[in-house]
Formats: sequence, structure tokens, C-alpha cells
Amino acid sequence: MNELPSVFIETRNLQKTVQLPSSSLTILTDINLTINRGQSVAIVGASGSGKSTLLGILAGLDQATQGEVFLAGQALHQMSDDERAALRAKKVGFVFQSFLLLPALTALENVTLPAELAGLKDARAKGLALLEQVGLAERADFFPAQLSGGEQQRVAIARAFITKPEILFADEPSANLDANTGEMVENLLFDLNQQQGTTLVLVTHKASLAERCQAQWVMQSGRLTLSTDSGAKHAL
Amino acid sequence: MHFKIAWRMFWRELRKGELWIIAFALVLAVVTVVSLTGITESVRSALMQRSSSFMAADKVLRSPLPFNSAYFDTAAQLQLKSARQMQFNTMVFADDVMQLVSVKAVSAEYPLRGKLVLKATDKIVELTPGHVYVEKRVMQLLQLDIGDKLSIGATELILGGVIDQEPDAPTAGFTGQPRILMHINDVAATQVVQPGSQINYRYLFAGTETQLKQLQTSLEAKLTPSDRWQQVDRSSSIGSALDRAEKFLLLAGLLGIVLAACASAVAATRYSERHRMAVAVIKALGMTERQTKLLYFSQLLLITMLSMIIGLILGQLACFGAQFLIEKWVPDFVPVFSARPLLIGIATAFICSMLFALRPVLRLAEVPSLEVLRQGAPSVRLDVVHLITGAVAVFGLMWMFSQDWVTSALLFIGCAIFAGVLLLLAALLVRIVKPVAAGQSSALQLALANLRRRLWANSFQLITFSQAIFLTLLLYFIRVELIGQWQAQVPANAPNHFMVNINDQQKLELTTVLQQQQLSAGKFYPMISGRILSVNGEMLQEPEMPDSAENGQKGQQTKNDNKRQGFGRELNLTWLSELPTNNQLTSGKWFTAESRAEVSVEARSAERMKLTLGDKMALSIGGQEVTATVTSFRKVDWNSLQPNFFVILSPDLMVDFPANYMTAVHIPAERADLLNEVARQFPTVSVISVSAILTQINEIIAQVSVALSVIMVLVFAAAVLVLIAQVQASLDQREQEIAILRTLGATKAFLLKAVVYEYLVLGLLAGGFATVLVEALLSVLQVRLFELPFQLHPMLWWMGPTLGAVIIVSLAMVQLRGLLNMPSAVLLRRALHA
Repeated sequence: MNELPSVFIETRNLQKTVQLPSSSLTILTDINLTINRGQSVAIVGASGSGKSTLLGILAGLDQATQGEVFLAGQALHQMSDDERAALRAKKVGFVFQSFLLLPALTALENVTLPAELAGLKDARAKGLALLEQVGLAERADFFPAQLSGGEQQRVAIARAFITKPEILFADEPSANLDANTGEMVENLLFDLNQQQGTTLVLVTHKASLAERCQAQWVMQSGRLTLSTDSGAKHAL
Repeated sequence: MHFKIAWRMFWRELRKGELWIIAFALVLAVVTVVSLTGITESVRSALMQRSSSFMAADKVLRSPLPFNSAYFDTAAQLQLKSARQMQFNTMVFADDVMQLVSVKAVSAEYPLRGKLVLKATDKIVELTPGHVYVEKRVMQLLQLDIGDKLSIGATELILGGVIDQEPDAPTAGFTGQPRILMHINDVAATQVVQPGSQINYRYLFAGTETQLKQLQTSLEAKLTPSDRWQQVDRSSSIGSALDRAEKFLLLAGLLGIVLAACASAVAATRYSERHRMAVAVIKALGMTERQTKLLYFSQLLLITMLSMIIGLILGQLACFGAQFLIEKWVPDFVPVFSARPLLIGIATAFICSMLFALRPVLRLAEVPSLEVLRQGAPSVRLDVVHLITGAVAVFGLMWMFSQDWVTSALLFIGCAIFAGVLLLLAALLVRIVKPVAAGQSSALQLALANLRRRLWANSFQLITFSQAIFLTLLLYFIRVELIGQWQAQVPANAPNHFMVNINDQQKLELTTVLQQQQLSAGKFYPMISGRILSVNGEMLQEPEMPDSAENGQKGQQTKNDNKRQGFGRELNLTWLSELPTNNQLTSGKWFTAESRAEVSVEARSAERMKLTLGDKMALSIGGQEVTATVTSFRKVDWNSLQPNFFVILSPDLMVDFPANYMTAVHIPAERADLLNEVARQFPTVSVISVSAILTQINEIIAQVSVALSVIMVLVFAAAVLVLIAQVQASLDQREQEIAILRTLGATKAFLLKAVVYEYLVLGLLAGGFATVLVEALLSVLQVRLFELPFQLHPMLWWMGPTLGAVIIVSLAMVQLRGLLNMPSAVLLRRALHA
């Protein structure tokens, strides 16, 4: 059996510029980043510093204006929208700040949706097991509107893990929750991440949350600098 | 797998109510189409069946020549039913009393349509050879009882009974002689049919439209120039009433469908805007754009299928209901099941969903997955492709429904102009609001500022609002006002009998008799028969088509466009010093006291005769030739059922001629005995009954009214649906703003007022626009389609804006209350997560 390469995400001279009506605005400048398989990484920074833009590019939701991005050894910058979507379906999980559950589907159906999209078998059983793990088995048939914010985020975490993604992107996962609920959700996220050995990329401006990650990168005016590293290989 | 997701999402969305407006709109469009097409077909078929029963057949061939058996053979080959009928006038004798009668001799198959009811001592009997059946008054005139004998020519026949109901009882053009019905097999024995006798031979045919057309084609070469076809006639009073009814229903139906289609488009657009985040999420989770399109397309397909099935069932039920009602109205009505309404219904569902709703739903799949991180603003720009597909759909529906390119094109252009004018007016008005809207300190200022800020969105909203109110008002006014005016043309006491051949002396006596019976005679018109010989010395050509009262077709026709077309028969001429009230001069001047040898001609006949003012017309009256100068043309309201004349002469011309008069009088059905009284006292006076025509016209109007009421309900439902969809969509846009203002401390009352003012202005504007356009269109319809005099509708001017304001503000308030009653935190969270 071949050993999987240890570098899971790599960016080379990444740049993102957006065109405004009379000028252009550079959001990301010369981003060079390497994240290893199974590593947990926090990207911190002030609002508007470009954290979410970088997350979007790393997850294949957006494309850089210049530079190269590799995810699981595949060149995202050379892939079409559909190819990136297919890659996301197989390897990527998401947890969003505002949960983003589909209001028309029940908690269980929200959880099983990525599994169904990826064509996995036993989606329902897996979904129920995950809901059990996040403590919401009895609310499987509830709709998002019938759940509290914390419960919705737990459903979102279960959804993120159902396909056993190789990498999980979390965008301010506890920002919309009160302190206690936020902590519970964070614990859940890290527990499942550890259990499944998933690579975790977390965008946050919450210091306590960032500190739980193995590496912390600071985003400032579109530039990325390494703040703490307990095992990541990086190049600046 | 994706279909499974689509199926699940479809039911979930349906249960949550997200798809209801689209579903309702599609159901409504299908119900409108199916019920309307079905009901129109049933009404048309009932009217045709009823009209056919007035001729006792679907098609009649009239000829002065004896029956040609080859015609019947051809009909038999085409599997048409046929019957023979002969009509002639003759004297009948009963003891020493004699009477000139009009005889109708028919074969056993008569009538092919309608019902013949003959009664002998209250028992219904059958027409049998050796017997005659008479109008009740014949019994009084000849002093006969049932079972008595009477002589017709060389034979004696037994009076078998009274005609109680006769499908083709004579209407216009009848000579007014008492009528007798006998078996055609007895005619030979009477020996009244001699060479040169004036006999009207009628071939009666009944069958499908196709069979009848085939018959006409097959016989074309065999017919003699004197053979003439007669069928349910479009230019007669009945025919034109039928025609108007069809136009009416067609117009009304189109309006409902266009509205429902708009509701589906608005609802689909709103659905798309509300699902942007869901799409971004499923795309982020790995669904490709193609798969996303397929997912939402499947959902639309499912909702279309479901709505279509419900619509078809409800529409068909409505048709059955209508047929049930029609059966009460036309007892012999045979409902004909037609798949056409169902097919049109299916096509409508797909046209509405695929051309109106599909575009926004497919565009939804284009939402970038990145929106999960950074929400983009929904595009409020005009979607040209959607506009084009919508326009194609509207035109397609119009054509499919009317099967008439001209009507579709005119309606379509009308709609386009309507939208364009509204857009311009809306943009203009919203800009005018600018100085008033400076500041947001009062609810009104905030409302006006909002109106201005959402200029384009509001302009589109105004178009939809105006359109919905416009169609509702239009239909209401057509239903109430125009039908009312139309009905007023045929008032309950409209003259139903014409009395002709009244001499000067009898005028006074007749008036007295009628007055004794509490009836009043109308105006007495002098009348004389005459023939137009030439115009400016140029002989007139035989007519290509007979005049409008007897719109048949000649078997063989000769055509020469350059020649002046005459009437080919004697005309009833009159001479008057005053222009009749239901006549309108189109050119020239009416007679004055000094007028000498002048003539006024009905405008259409004048066109046919290629007359110009100043032409010299030569007429033969009572064997004398008279020449008159054409000094005016008149438009005549043939639907007024008043005595009307093609040619009116100046009184000076007729001084030396014996005056005979005609008048029109209303005789209630229960006073029919009075006709006998008139016949006794004034044996020379002929009475022509038009009550059958009147009854039928009133029935048609009643049917159209009922059908229109149904359509009005459907159109109103569609209009409300559009308004709900539009208000919902516009409130979605306002939700975030309301949340922020609430958070910043704005009171519920302030926000409620601001939104109410905003919708009040929109409602008043929409109602105002709709009013102006309805008034304009009504005047066109009034004058062009219904041929009624122009009249303003003052009620419309307060009803339009009020209706607009009340409906729109009510709908907005109902939906807004839910939002305003939410705690600020919930509202804010909703707005932020939207």
C-alpha cells in the first residue's frame, strides 16, 4: 500500500485581486502555505483581512487570480468548476459560521445530503450514528427552524463528517453562538476531527479556539504570516 | 440519486409552502384554460345546436326548383341525415270560410334538429299523412275544431292538432300568413303544385361540420344559380350575438391565463432568490452546476405535473358542471366530450412553467458556491432572456387560445405598449417623488425615500400591480357595464312583432286597439316596395351575396368587382323627414323642408353599389320610375330590432303614392290572442313575429353573463395570486431593512406606517394607471367590438385607485404583521441568515 503524501494543501505565490469599477483591489498577496495531512491549522486575522477569501480558494470554492493551489495533490487552479465540485464531494467537509442548513430538509436529511451526493451507501444509518454522536438523535426529524443555534451547528458538524472528509474547513464555527454553546460545539468539532484524523483548516478571530490548533497563521492586509507552529512545514 | 433528492426536496418544499404560489398559479392557469375552452366549446355547441334547431337542421339548401334526388344521394353517401320541406302559400277552405295560409309540407324525418310538438286535445301526437296541424289562430280564423275537415286544393285533410312547438317557426321575412303543417306525401293530391307555382323547396341536412363541408364541396358543381345555402348565420342577429359571445369569452380567458402565468414567473423568481443560499450550500458540498440545474429542473417538473393534474381535474369538473347547467337550458343538448381543452391545458401548464418559471429556476444553479462564505446580492437587473421567453410564452398562449394570428398579434402589441407606458409612467412618477422624499424622519418620508431607492424594482412591481388591477377592472366593467348596455339594447319590452301593410285609416284604429289592451304601437313608418334600377344610368349587377338578413350563398356565383352590386330584389322603401334615432349619418346631410327628390342610403349598401354623394339613383316604385339624388349615407344599427331601411326617400317624392305603414310593437307572450284580434279586425295587416330571435339573443346574453362571472372569479383569483406573489417578493427585499430599523429602535407602528404608505402609494398609482387604461380600452371595445356609443365610466375612476390601494395594502399588512410581531433578535437573525 502506497503511503499518502504528507503535504495535503500547498499554495504557491497565491494572489487574489478583484476588479472594481474604477480600480482593482488586491485581497491576497503572495500567499505561500503548506498544511500537512491530519494537521489542524487556524487562520486568524481582523475582519476584512482576507481570511475567508483564502478559505474559499483553499476549499476550491473560489479561484485565485495568480499562483497555484494543490489540494490532496491535485492542482485546483487548473480544474474547472465541476471538477472542483467533484473533488469537494469526495474529500472536503465544511462548517459555516451561520450553519447553512437547508431549511426544507430535516436534521437527518441535512446530515445525509453530502453522503447522497457522493453516492455513499447506508447514508441514513451513518447520519443517525453521527446525530447520536453530536447528541441529537432524538431530533433527527426536526427541521432547522425547530432547532436552537447550537443544535443547528451540531447538525452542521455531523453533516461535515458524514463523508469522512480528508479535510474540513470551518469558518468561524462558534461566532454565532453563546460562550457555553460555542465551547460545546468547538469540543465536538475537535473530537470528531481527532477521531477521523481529518485535516482541519479553521478561520477564526477567537484566540482560544485558534490556540487549540497545531498551527496558527495570521492574516494581515492580505498577507499571511506564521504565528505558531507545532509541526507544520511552511514556506514564507 | 439526484432524483431521489429532488423528490424529497419537492415534497418538503411543498409542505413548507415554498412552492404553493407557483403551484396555485399553474393550477389556476390550467383550470382557466380547461374550463374556459371546455365551457366555450359546450356553450358554442349548445348555441349551434339551439341555432340549428331554429332551422330544424344544421344546413339548409333552398331552391325554387323541385327536389333533385342526386343531392339527397350525395348526403346519404356522406352519412348525413336529410329531410325534405316545401313551403308555399295557398287558400284553404273550411265550409264557407276561406283563408290564405302559408303551408309547410315536411317529410317524416323532419325536424333534424330541435323538437316538433303537435298536440291534439292536450295529447302529443305525430305528424301523419292525411292530417294537417295548424297554428292556434287558424282554428279561430276558420272556426274549426280538431277532427274537422278542411280543403287544400283538390284534397281534403283532417285537422289533426295544433302546433305547440315548431323548431323553425318563421322569424324575419315572414309574410305573416297563418301557418299550416302537413305531410309532404299529401302535397301531390292537393294539386296546388303546378308549373310556375311559387314553391320554396328546402333540403334539410344534419351531421358533423366536416360532413357538411364535404357536402357543400360535393354539391358545388351540381347546384343551379338559384340554389342557396343557409346555415347558422354570423351576420344575422343570432349569429352576431354568438360571435360576440365567443369574442368575449376568448378575451376574458386570455387575461386570466396571462395573469396566472405572470404569477408563476414572479413566484419562481422569488423562489430562486430565497434559494440562493441553499444552492450555494449544495454546490459547496460537491454538486456540480449541471446536477444543480437538473435538481431544480426536476422540482419544477414535479410541481408542473402535480399542478397540471389538479388543474385538469378541476377544469374538467367545471366543464361537467357547465354542461349540466347547459342541459337545463337546452334540453336536447348533447354534450360532446372533446380532448382539446385537456390538451390545451397540458400545453398551458408546460408553457407557463417552462417559459415563465424555468429561466429563474435554472439561473439559480448559477449561484456561485462561494456565497456560502460571502453572500452576494441577488441581481435586480433586467433578465432579457426571461423577458423574451415570457413574451414568447404570452404570444404562444394567445395564439393557442385564439387560433387567430391577428387577434394574438393585436393583443400582444397591446400588452407590450401597456407595459412600456406603465414602465415610463412609473419611472417618471417615482422620480417626481424625489423632493418630497428628502429625509427619513417621518414614516411618509421613509416610504417615499424607499419608493425612490427601489426605482426599477418598484417600476416592475407597478406593472404587475397595474396589470392585475387592470384585468380585474376590465372584466368587471365588461361584465357589468358592457353586457348591461348590450342587454339594454334588447330591453324586456323590446318590440317583438312587426305589423306591416297598415293603411292611413288603420293607423289610428290600430293605435286605439293596442291602447285598449294597454299596449302602445311604436312609430309608424310609411313603406312601399320598390326596386333600384340604375345609378347614374348604369344598371346594377345581381348581388354576389344576398343581403345581411338572409346570408346564404349562391350555388354558382359570378364575380365582377368593378360593377355596382344591386340587391337583386324589391326593397322596402320609406320616406321620412326626420332621421330615425338608431341611424347615424356617416356623410352628407339629412333632408330639410326644402329637399327635393333626395335619397339617403345605408352606408354598407352604398359601398356595395359604389355610390358617392350626388349620384342619381333611378328607382321603380309602383310601376313608375323615380329619380333621386343621393345626399347622405347612414350607419344603421341592425341589432336594435327596430324597423330599419336600406333606402329612405325625401317625403316630397312620395306625395302621389298611396301610403302604407309599418310599426313595431311589444306583445307579451300571454297576450298572443291579440294577434287574432288584429288579424280579424285588420285582415290586410300582416304580423311578423321576431320574439323567437329576441328570446334567443337574451338567452345568449344570459349565458355569456354566467360564463363571464365564472371567468371573472378565475381572473380575480389570478390577480390576487399575482399580487400575493409580488408583495411577498417585495417584502423579502424589505425584511433586512425592517430588521435593521427595528434594531435601531424604530417602533412597530412607525415601520407599519412606513410600509403601509409605501404600498398605499404603489396601490394608488397602480389603480390609477389601470383606470386610465381600462377606460381607454373600454371605449375601444364599446365602439369597435360592441358597436355601442362611447360613454365614460365615472364609477371606474374611484373604484380603480381604491381597489388598488385596498388590496395591495391589505395583502402587504397581512404579510407584514408576521414580520413585525417577531422579536427583534429573531428578525435580525433571519435577516442576517437570509
